Amino acid sequence: MLTVSSLQKSFATDQGRLNVIDDVSFDVPEGQCYALLGPSGCGKTTTLRCVAGLEEPDSGRIEIAGRVVYDSALGINVPTHQRPIGIVFQSYAIWPHMDVFENVAYPLRVARPRIPKAEIEQRVMDVLALVGMKDVARRPAPRLSGGQQQRVALARAIVRRPALLLLDEPLSNLDAMLREQMRKELADLIARIGVTALFVTHDQAEALSLAARVAVMHKGKIAQEGAPRDIYSQPRNVFVAEFLGASNILDGRIISSDGAQALVEVGAGQRLRAKTPLPAGSAIKLLLRPERLSVSLHKPVDDSLRAQVSSVGFTGPTVDCSLTLDGAPIRVVAPADTPIKAGDEVWLTPLDRNGMVLAA
Amino acid sequence: MKRTAKQADDAGHFRRDWLSVLVPAAGALAAVYLIAAPLAMLIYAAFRGPADFLPFEDGAQWTLDNVIAVFTDPIMLGRVLPDTLIFVAGTVTLTTLMAMVLAWIVERTDLAARNVWFAIIIFPTLAPIVVKAIAWILLMSPNAGWANLALRGLFGWSGEGPINIFSMPGLILCQALATTPFVFLQLSAALRSMNPMLEEASRGAGASPFTTFRKVTLPVLLPGLLAPIILVTLITFEQFELPLIVGLPARINVFAFRIYNELNPASGLPNYGGAAAISLPFLALGLLALVAYNYAIRHADKFVTVTGKAFAQKRLPLGRWRIPAYAFMTIYVALSAVLPVGILVWTSFFGFTPPGKATWADATLAGYASFFSNPVFWRAVFNSFLVAGLSALIVTLLGGLIAWIVVRSKAPGRGLLDALTFMSLGIPAVIAALAVMVLYLSLPIGVYGTVWILVIAYSYRLATATRLSRATIMQVHKELEEASEAAGARWLTTQARILLPLLAPGLMSAFLLLFIIGMREFTIPFVLYSQDNVVLSVLIWQLFQGGQPAHSAALGTLMLLMVAPIIFFARRFLVARGSGD
Ligand SMILES: Nc1ncnc2c1ncn2[C@@H]1O[C@H](COP(=O)(O)OP(=O)(O)O)[C@@H](O)[C@H]1O
Ligand SMILES: [Mg+2]
Repeated sequence: MLTVSSLQKSFATDQGRLNVIDDVSFDVPEGQCYALLGPSGCGKTTTLRCVAGLEEPDSGRIEIAGRVVYDSALGINVPTHQRPIGIVFQSYAIWPHMDVFENVAYPLRVARPRIPKAEIEQRVMDVLALVGMKDVARRPAPRLSGGQQQRVALARAIVRRPALLLLDEPLSNLDAMLREQMRKELADLIARIGVTALFVTHDQAEALSLAARVAVMHKGKIAQEGAPRDIYSQPRNVFVAEFLGASNILDGRIISSDGAQALVEVGAGQRLRAKTPLPAGSAIKLLLRPERLSVSLHKPVDDSLRAQVSSVGFTGPTVDCSLTLDGAPIRVVAPADTPIKAGDEVWLTPLDRNGMVLAA
Repeated sequence: MKRTAKQADDAGHFRRDWLSVLVPAAGALAAVYLIAAPLAMLIYAAFRGPADFLPFEDGAQWTLDNVIAVFTDPIMLGRVLPDTLIFVAGTVTLTTLMAMVLAWIVERTDLAARNVWFAIIIFPTLAPIVVKAIAWILLMSPNAGWANLALRGLFGWSGEGPINIFSMPGLILCQALATTPFVFLQLSAALRSMNPMLEEASRGAGASPFTTFRKVTLPVLLPGLLAPIILVTLITFEQFELPLIVGLPARINVFAFRIYNELNPASGLPNYGGAAAISLPFLALGLLALVAYNYAIRHADKFVTVTGKAFAQKRLPLGRWRIPAYAFMTIYVALSAVLPVGILVWTSFFGFTPPGKATWADATLAGYASFFSNPVFWRAVFNSFLVAGLSALIVTLLGGLIAWIVVRSKAPGRGLLDALTFMSLGIPAVIAALAVMVLYLSLPIGVYGTVWILVIAYSYRLATATRLSRATIMQVHKELEEASEAAGARWLTTQARILLPLLAPGLMSAFLLLFIIGMREFTIPFVLYSQDNVVLSVLIWQLFQGGQPAHSAALGTLMLLMVAPIIFFARRFLVARGSGD
């Protein structure tokens, strides 16, 4: 449905050319929701804008719904207004000189061949009903709240039934409460209309909950791509692991290995088993997710790790504990009834031995 | 290539949106034509001779005589240069001083009826300088000026004077009165947006209000002050009206008048080559000032303490300074606005007869009545509105387009285009008129002597519109346009339905401002004058010169009435005061 191959884009800056997208390729199947996830400045928006035709890439190829819209080798660059897309911009870009209805009707009004007035009216009202804005159809754009603007932007993007919906940080302009609610509505809506969607975000929870597939971007490259669960549980490198959630990452070394499982040494000679294909002698990073560690006052298994509790913060459902493991700080999120206090000596055991070892 | 086209067609018969290239390209060409073509012709003319030949005329040839003549002419070095410099330096100094005091009193003290003072200070900018010049002559001419009559009556003096407007100090005073509002506007805006804590901190450290002004306010404002001061230098430098009307009787000889003199010598033929040669060094000076101006505005932006945000300012009680402050305000406002309007209206009914000597029987409507049967009057009205309106329209649209090219497009050479349009700010009006004259005397398209040459000549001032539009375009988030593109709209549709409506208020302001400038314009229509293209400002001067003060004053009054309604529109953008006021 959407195929991006070997996309390359640089900008001229004061310090010379800046490579913003570096050999990015991905595929979004029909009807799927795909997320580009990464920290600010990693090139997500630029990628989206290249797909939309708002930026011209340096090289590569983009295909939307079976049509080549960009191909540097063939010299093809279809202008934005001829691409079958709808965009929700980060700023929403609601036109202030039009009311809600006119904003949403615009894509139909500028369509050629012309669409009959009655049909425009019908389609706009249908879409407004879909996003729950039917009652405020005639409200001037400057009098909309953030959430309403987001809905109008969405309605405007889908009203001409584009093959591909592009969303640039669609929820980042909303406050926390509203964001939660709109995330659900958005997921609902995308599923209901079955549109193929590409969206970019820096919020991992947003990406993981909305998208069927996620590409984590780092400095213009795709660091890892896959289903949300796989990426989360088996990050390929330290960057992905850290970006996908607060993680404890310790330096370690593989002592011995049978090819599938290895004995890893961390801290001052503490050892534990982990699943990894890396050979003995490799320097590694050990990833310990705060919520994937069990805490006990007695050593439960022979390869548990010993740590000292420095503070315990009660948050309600859980306790957020700071510990030190042979001098290295470690964070653990444990059930609220865990009977520990500052100064205790405890044992940490990973709940799952998969995806803990990353190449250093 | 064929393959590409075929592939492209398979990919969905896309084609480039040619309008998105053609329209900006046409705009850029028009701008280059309006500014660069006359200038090129001017420079060309400076090196062609003999002097009274047009550069392309049969018999004209390359020569350095014109240029050599300029630099060896004793009058140029002994009179024109010093006169121009004294005039500019005096005016800029007086303007800055007056504007600074006015702005500080209006913005920072407990002056009563602040908004009224503000409006009266700004109002005279709408009036054409010729009208004001005539009023000032009526007020301050050595023998019959009202001010002199009053002073002589008061002190029992006889003879002439004591005030003589026809002198360098008189000329400087008039010019400073005309330019002060521009600097005042900028300064009061800067004062309003200055963080009051800076001054309060100084007061808290034990400094008096005056010391605070000297040690804190002034240094903080200085970078922002530089740009308006350079601009006033530029405006004064190119002045032609007042040096002609007030300066000529005093035999003051600034360069603008000198150029005019070459074109209209007391005897003989116009000396095109000579006029063009005189223009060159002054054009260079103008552009030099412009470079300084550009530097100043860039660096004023970097000064962080003066932001665009208006602060609620604390007002200082005037205290024992109350009387001097009000006296200064009153005298300034009387000289710049109230007395000129009063004299103009009076003269339109009573002619030269001053109040006191006049009785109601002397009042006559003849000044006004004569216009209705006078075809020249109607032609001038028509021409004024046509030229001001049309050139304002051209400049607004073209300037908007160029601003768009510079801000939004990725067109090659846009930096050059930006520089060229900005340059128009540094070209003195006399030189622009001369350049246009030489160009269209040489081009056989028959616009010389018609109103159309005025429309073309007025339209070189693209910088005004470009700068205003640029600010507005930058306020329109780029994604608003991109959203339209993504909605499937072609380039022209996006411009017409999204950008233009959003820019409309900004473009309207630019249009109004340019229209006022066009109505005020005197130099260009005076230099390019013919029977057919007479405009109101020129007609007013001709009537006054021809010994018809009542008619001239009546026309001046009418003209004030014509532009006065604009102040109600203009208030929206000129007098945008903080709401706390
Ligand atoms: N028009 C531009 N000119 C120069 N640099 C740009 C431009 N647009 C984006 N960049 C740079 O490209 C990088 C990636 O930007 P962007 O794609 O917006 O990142 P993201 O959306 O992931 O936060 C940033 O460093 C940004 O400064
Ligand atoms: Mg972004």
